[in-house]
Formats: sequence, C-alpha cells, structure tokens
Amino acid sequence: MSSSDDRGAPDGAAHDPEDRSPEAASRRGLLKLGVGVLGCGLAAIPAAPAVGYLLYPLGRERAVGAFLPVGARTQFSATPVRIDLHADRVDAWSRERDVKLGSCWVVEVDGKLQAFSTACPHLGCAVDYEPGEAKFKCPCHRSAFTATGVVEGGPSPRPLDTLEIEEKDGLVAIRFQRFRQGVPHKEPV
Amino acid sequence: MRILDWIEARTGLRTLMGHALNEEVEGGARVQYVFGSVLTYLFMQQVVLGILLGFYYSPSASAAWASTAYLNDQVAAGWFLRGLHHHGSSAMVVAVILHMLQVVWAGAYRAPREVNWWTGLAMGGLVLAFALTGYLLPWDQKGYWATQVATGIMGSVPGGEPMQQAIQGGPEYGNLTITRFYALHVFVLPISLTLLLVGHLALFRRHGVTPPAGLSAAELKRKAQPFWPNQLFLDVLAMALCGAALVLLTYQTHGADLFAPADPASNFVARPEWYFLFLYQLLKYFEGPLQIVATVLLPGAVAVTLFALPWIDRAKTRKASSRWPVLTIVGLLMAGVTALTGIAMAEDAANESYQHGLEVAEKESAQARALALLGVPVAGGVAVFDNDPKNQTRKLFKEHCATCHTIEGKGGAEAPSFVDYGGRAWLTALIRDPGDKRFYGGTKAHKTMEPLSVEAVSDAELAAVVEYVHSLGGPELGASDAALVAKGKALWDGKLECSSCHEVEAGKDSTGPTLAGRGTAAWIARSIADSSAKDLYGDTAEMPKFAGKLSPAEIEALAQYVAEQRPRE
Repeated sequence: MSSSDDRGAPDGAAHDPEDRSPEAASRRGLLKLGVGVLGCGLAAIPAAPAVGYLLYPLGRERAVGAFLPVGARTQFSATPVRIDLHADRVDAWSRERDVKLGSCWVVEVDGKLQAFSTACPHLGCAVDYEPGEAKFKCPCHRSAFTATGVVEGGPSPRPLDTLEIEEKDGLVAIRFQRFRQGVPHKEPV
Repeated sequence: MRILDWIEARTGLRTLMGHALNEEVEGGARVQYVFGSVLTYLFMQQVVLGILLGFYYSPSASAAWASTAYLNDQVAAGWFLRGLHHHGSSAMVVAVILHMLQVVWAGAYRAPREVNWWTGLAMGGLVLAFALTGYLLPWDQKGYWATQVATGIMGSVPGGEPMQQAIQGGPEYGNLTITRFYALHVFVLPISLTLLLVGHLALFRRHGVTPPAGLSAAELKRKAQPFWPNQLFLDVLAMALCGAALVLLTYQTHGADLFAPADPASNFVARPEWYFLFLYQLLKYFEGPLQIVATVLLPGAVAVTLFALPWIDRAKTRKASSRWPVLTIVGLLMAGVTALTGIAMAEDAANESYQHGLEVAEKESAQARALALLGVPVAGGVAVFDNDPKNQTRKLFKEHCATCHTIEGKGGAEAPSFVDYGGRAWLTALIRDPGDKRFYGGTKAHKTMEPLSVEAVSDAELAAVVEYVHSLGGPELGASDAALVAKGKALWDGKLECSSCHEVEAGKDSTGPTLAGRGTAAWIARSIADSSAKDLYGDTAEMPKFAGKLSPAEIEALAQYVAEQRPRE
C-alpha cells in the first residue's frame, strides 16, 4: 500500500474518470449549476454591501451651515465691506476648529443689509470692490457688477450670489454657502 | 458561443481553465479535501474586504482611530465589511488548524509532499502575522495595548531589542509603528502569502490529493472523479457554509469591537485575540529569567517539531495506526493549546477586576464613538474627548478658576474648594468652621463669620439649621425634612441670629450672601458673573467678575459643573 505515497503526476491517459452515462452527465450538470449559484452567492457577500459603501457619502443631504456671527450692525454701510467667515469644518472623520470657510461682501442696500459671496458666479474667482467706480469686478474674466450685485458686463451668467443674513440685537450673522458656477440660476452645491 | 470561440482563439483562456479544472481526483471527491479551498476562498475574501477598508482607513497615529470610527459608525455598511474582515481572520485561523489536522491525519506531510507541508506551515505563520499586524491598525485601546505586549515580548528576548525597535520605528509607538504595520499587513504579507499559495497549489497539482491509505491503486483509479465539478462542488459548498457562518456571526456581534482611541497614559485590560490566548496563558507560568521558555523556547520547539514531522514519522505505511507517535505528538500539542486557551478564558471570566475593566472600557468606547460622530479634532485619537462639552468646561475651569479653587482634587486653596461642594456635610463643616482652608481660610477678606462650637450649637441643632439652609436651594437640591426645616428656621432667626447677616429672600441685600437659591446652578452662575452683587458678597468680594469675560453660556456651564460636585445624600 506504500505505493500511493510515491504516486507521481496524474496519468490521465490511462484512465478516463468521467462516467459517460446520461445520469452521470445530468448529475454533473446539477453540480456545475450548484457551483455557479453558490459562487455567485459568495461573491455577493462583500460585493453587495460594497456598492453603497463605496459611494458614501454621495447623495446624502448635507447639513445646512449655521449662521456665523460677523460683528455689529454698525460696522456696515452702503460701502461694501469684505468679511471672512470662520467656523468649524468637518472633513470626513476630522474636525478643524475655527477655519476660514470663505468670504463675503456685506453692503447696505435701501437700509437693509445684503451679503454677496465673493465667488464670481462665472468661474469662482474672488471679486474685488472698486470704490472709485462703486463696482464689483472679477479679476479673472472681467465680469463686473453694480454695488447691489447686478451684472454690468463680462461673462457672468447671473448676479452675485446673495448669502442668507440675519440681524439680532444689533449683531449680524451670515450663513455661508457655495453655489454652482457658470449656470444662469443660483443652485447650492 | 462565437464570442467565447473568438476569445479562446485570441487568448487560449478556455484551454487555461481546462488545465486548471480538469484534474482527476484519485479515489473520488471527498469532504475532507475542502479545507485548502476554504482557506483560499477566505484569503481572497480578506483581500477584497481589505481593499474596501482601504477606501476609508488612514494609517497615521492621528487619523487611524478617527478614520476607523468613521468607517465603522458612519459609512454605509462599513461596520459589516469591517466585521467580516475581523471575523474572517478568526475563520482563517480555524481553517488553518483544521487543514493542518486533516493533513496530519492523512499523512500528507510525508514524502513526496514535504515541500507542500513546509509551504503550508509558512502560510499558517503568515496568517498569524496578518492577525497580529491587523490588530493594531484601528489604533484603539485594545489593539494598542495587546500589540504592546507582543512587541514587548520581542524586545525581552536576547538580541530582540533591535528587532523590536526596527518594527516599531523607534523606542515608542507612534506614526512610524502604524505605517510599518500597515505596510506589512497590506503589502508584504499579502504578496508573500500569494507567492507561497501559488507554490503550494502547484505542488498540490503535482502530487494530487492524499487519498485514504486503505485503498489499492486499482480502487483509486476506479473510484476517481473529475475535480470539476465533483470536488469543486464540495469545496464551494464548504465555502458557502463558511461564508454564511461569517455573515451570521458578523450580524450577531454587530461587527468588530472598536474601543476608545489608544491612550498611552491610560491603563487598559489588554488581552490578545482568542487564538493567541494560549501563548498569553503560557507566559503566566514562566516568570523572570524563565520567561524565554514561554516566549521563544516552547513555541520554537513546536515550530521545529512541526517542520521536522516528515522525518519524525518513521512509519513504513501511511496508515494512521502505524503513525501513532506523530499523531500523539500533534494530538498532545492541540490538547495543550486548547487547555491553555480554556484556562485563560476561565481565569478572565472569574477575574472581577478584568470584568470591571472591560465594563469601563466599553463605556469609554461608547462615549468616544458618540463624540466621534461630530468629527474628531485634527489632533486625532484621544482629542475626540475634547468634543465633550464637559471637557471643554473642565478646560475653562482650569484656565479661569483653578488657580484659587480646587475641583476634582486639583487646584488652588485661595478660595473655597468645590470637592463635595454644597451638600449637607459640606454646609455642616462650613458652619462649624468657616475659616478652615477648605472654605474661606485661604481668602483675605472673608473672615467675618464666626465659627460655631459644639457648646454654642449641638450637632442635632446644627443638623436642623443645615436642613433649613439646604432647603433654601429649593427643589433643585432635592427634598427636605419639613419638621427639621421648621426647627432649623427657629434656630436661625432666634438663638443663632444668622439672619442678622444673611437674608433668605431673593433680591434682598445683606451683609453676607443672601441664601435664597443657594447651591443651585443659577445661584452659582450669578456668583461667577459678579460676586460683588449687593445680595452676594458685596464690597468684600475678592473673585473677579466673569460677566463680559466669559460668555453667558460658558458661565452657565461652569456653574453647572460646580453644582454637580454636590454629593448625592
């Protein structure tokens, strides 16, 4: 019986292990089907949950940012003032404290405060204010806006984007948001 | 089928598949041959799951725990995939042991399959190395402390210290430890295992299965079946059972543990994963200079024995009955490992301090993970506890109050201590001796209240007065004994003349603090905001005004923190 230990490579030519009868063939067919079905089931164990996993967090509603305090009402007038907006920022698992999220221009229009995002609606460059001409101008592609944000020239497809603003007890707070660039309607991103 | 023919003509893929699958299984397909296939399946699944985890995991001391908590607690199905990967490693260890036992039972380590046996042993070692390196990666308390033990053992072996430092990236754990373990776990070990697996499979194809020893050559030929589909079906069925068990286990345990972030300054009840418990237990029996017996000599002897098994086996035939020495050795080995594991588990189950430590650890873990949902501060790891408003208040207290006031055992003595602040016992001690260090002894101006000796007021009378003062705090401080309060009020107004300095109605100015609402968070908040108010300490106030310096919310939080020091009575 020690011969089985010294067995070399299988010698398939000497013997055909496959039973050629129709019953055996159908049994083998069933086994093949079983292998296929079970194999697919096994592949699905990691694959099925992986789809939603890999796409996270796309398509999830993002939390609306809070109103960020920017100072006293008295510091604003008909001349636009540039204000930096600071808040905590969560990036996936980490939280940065008090980082600059972006900037906005705050200006009084007809006695009411308005805040404009500094991002040009065309391609997102930061617009400057020219006090001499009383205009907002984009340094990249020459879009120009009036002090109330209306397009006066250049490629910008829409007026400057307004940000939500809140006044309470003489203090001003602004909600920072970014909007899609290059489209005629303001859409938050 | 024309597409398949086209592909076959260009690539020869079908021929290749044929080579892989058309193999004759001598003596027929058998259930005992499935373990190698199950291991291959488990390894492949671990690779897929590992890659998936890599989409969210970040290997650094500051981000490892935070990213693991994010992937486990926030990412869709993250807990499930991580749990499968975690339990998958246990499943691999179990399958390695079963595979090895089957090989030993069948005598498949014997000539001409020695190299199969050795590559298999090497792969078994790699599976353990995978487990060890993977355990540390979440950088949580459990992984951190358990792995400390493993590298500590490495360092305690003669000549092992340079090795320990090399694998840690220095004398201590840090970023370099995590990047090293990561590179080993994710690149070095999988590539090594894959190469060994290829060799192992090639050798297996060369020598074929090791059929039962009792069958004659003619019988083996007669009973032979094709690998595809007969044996493969059994293999896939076993894989499916294993996969189903893993899914079930993962659901039942809701994935893998994630303890609080690694804190080198803490003490944690470290235990290795269950398959290393026997080594952990063995270590308990060999102390001091004998430690090397448990860490190197015995495990080394076992490894050498297993390696030398083909030579230890002197039997003429492969029959189990003629190989009893080898089977006894391996059997005793398994019995020893099982016994040690069982003892380790039983000892832990009966160990109250360990069980208590686990409870504390689980509480801490729940707290850390809840706080991590807000985002972990970029400092990472234990900085997650900074998200706890209480911790922020503690920081505020340390910054603004602790120079003079003591709280939770730490702080100055220039002003009243807040240890057990505001309860009945505290009031009793205060009225007996306001000049004590614990109360106003450290202040400059608050010396006007006279101590009350036992001759002046008996303990029973004082208890009544204290009950009365306590009741002035209102319902926030809990119920009062009405009879005692009435008795106390009589003493207060009459014999003791307390009312000559202290008013008890809100808003009334008095020499000493007005005691309406005393001890409530609101009353403490007013004292913090401005203790020089006419109805508080007036002109004698020494504490700076914090109104304007701190926001009302901060003052409120501090007051709440101080009020919480009142012991439950």
